[in-house]
Amino acid sequence: MCKPSSNQTKWKVLSLVLLDLQNLSRHFGQVQALREVTLRLETGTIGLVGNNGAGKSTLLKILLGLLPPSSGSGTILGCDIRQTGLKLRGRIGYMPEAAATVPLLKGVEYVALSGDLYGMPFRDARRRAHEVLNYVGLGELRYRRLDEYSAGNLQRLKLAAALVHDPELLLLDEPTNGLDPAGRLSMLRLLEDLIAETGKSLILCTHLLKDVERMCTQVVVLHQGTIAKSGPIEEMTRAAENRYEVHWRDASSDFLSRFRSSGGTVLHQSELSEALVALPETWQAKQLFELAAQCGTVITRLREDDDDLERLFMRLTAKETKGTQD
Amino acid sequence: MISIARVALIQVLRRKTYWVLLGLGLAQFIMFWSVIYALTQLQLPDQVKQNILREFGFSAQMDEQRDNGYMVFMERQSVVVMILLAFSGSLLVGSDFRQRTLPFYLSRRIAKRHYIAGKLLAVSSLILFLTVIPALALFVEYGAFTSGLTYWRDNWRILVAVLAYGGVLCLVNSVWLVSLSAYLQRAAPIAIIWSSLLIMPGRLGEYLWKASDNEYWRLLDPWRDMRLIGQLFFGKFRKDFDRGLAWWGLLLISAITIVAFIALVRRVRAVDVVE
Repeated sequence: MCKPSSNQTKWKVLSLVLLDLQNLSRHFGQVQALREVTLRLETGTIGLVGNNGAGKSTLLKILLGLLPPSSGSGTILGCDIRQTGLKLRGRIGYMPEAAATVPLLKGVEYVALSGDLYGMPFRDARRRAHEVLNYVGLGELRYRRLDEYSAGNLQRLKLAAALVHDPELLLLDEPTNGLDPAGRLSMLRLLEDLIAETGKSLILCTHLLKDVERMCTQVVVLHQGTIAKSGPIEEMTRAAENRYEVHWRDASSDFLSRFRSSGGTVLHQSELSEALVALPETWQAKQLFELAAQCGTVITRLREDDDDLERLFMRLTAKETKGTQD
Repeated sequence: MISIARVALIQVLRRKTYWVLLGLGLAQFIMFWSVIYALTQLQLPDQVKQNILREFGFSAQMDEQRDNGYMVFMERQSVVVMILLAFSGSLLVGSDFRQRTLPFYLSRRIAKRHYIAGKLLAVSSLILFLTVIPALALFVEYGAFTSGLTYWRDNWRILVAVLAYGGVLCLVNSVWLVSLSAYLQRAAPIAIIWSSLLIMPGRLGEYLWKASDNEYWRLLDPWRDMRLIGQLFFGKFRKDFDRGLAWWGLLLISAITIVAFIALVRRVRAVDVVE
């Protein structure tokens, strides 16, 4: 059974948990796409980010029940991912990254087909297709053939096809891929409205970290098949307070070692004369300048680390790559 | 499954060039319909009737020496079917792979088997519309213009044979075409390979048959094998030797169809492994 059979309290607790994965792995022959992924996420809007080949698509396909994990277990929307593939898909709306069009079909037929395939009766699917096409702003274009849709409208159409059966969870794979800035903005606005109005959960799989920052409250950073970091975006970016990106001249000085002995932390050093540092709690920026002066070092640039997701991501993936190479 | 088949048929019917082929099929049906009408309703001299019968090789009775007219009709229609299929494989199946529509289908509440069954049903429907249904219409027409219930009752085996032969055509051609389209995907390669499969082995078989005087080489011609299977159902063979060949043909066609089906099942998947 997909729904929990015990008491109401348990149901409430479970309903908050969107997905819970335990040591999930998946390999394709020699290629290890996912390694021992353990992840617990609550309902809401979640960004799934990672480089190409990080395992995002594999994770999405496992969540959809299209691919069984090689090992490990997990639940999504309270359903076991190993056993409830078809039932589970009825509760999820998936928008693929690829064009995924059916030649010669009209927009409304495409969305109705999606409803049919989700198990809706033909008439209901057709009626809902009209409704969701109006909702995503394609009401006027519904009788056009798919090859006449622009890239932006095609993305909206695919969103409509994912929404047609009113799913609890939306899995969107690169929804703003290939859109011009105006189209991207318009798509994001549509998604924001949708989430605000319906309260649906959303997993947004994308390379565009700005989109995740704007849309999501939680993020999962995948790197080389493992979870590099996951959690609320706000918490991750809050941790950036009192951090600075510092560039200096005279690399021969003992500036960094004295900084460390004063209680500071060097988070990341990309070059000999530049680093990302976290100041001791009681320090302010001027104390860093004072320390540099004592060491005979000239700070050429000091920039508050307004850590956005992009910088966090770059650091996480760079660190991980270095660690792996080591 | 039904919705996949319905959409596939909508796709075919929206392409105008396919209407030309459907029109050819219809023209052939009208021709046979007219022959039956002329033979049964018009007061024609015997010589003219004989000429018509010779021209069309037509017989509407099971126990006559001539080829069975319904079988002849279905054979001729299958030429149109083969051309239609050669050009529709890319549209019905190839595009799903080219445009990566498979994840769209398979991420819905359907399994791989539903997708495959839907596509096979769509192709089978095309074959059915062009062969079985018009053949049944001719059967009804002949009975209606002659002795009615008596004709239909006395020749019930024709009905069974039409359905059985049609079933073989639908099953074999749909599995072959869908499998081929799933691998080749684009219209030109599908059309070339499809035509070659139906022509080249036949030519080779005929050459080897003439060179070695061994009739079994003719089994290399899949089209002829299907015809022999049809003759098995209609119970009429042009040569006695063909009766034995028909069973071998059935075995060969079944084996190829099973292999093609396994290849199709392996090819249809929602996830492409990228290394």
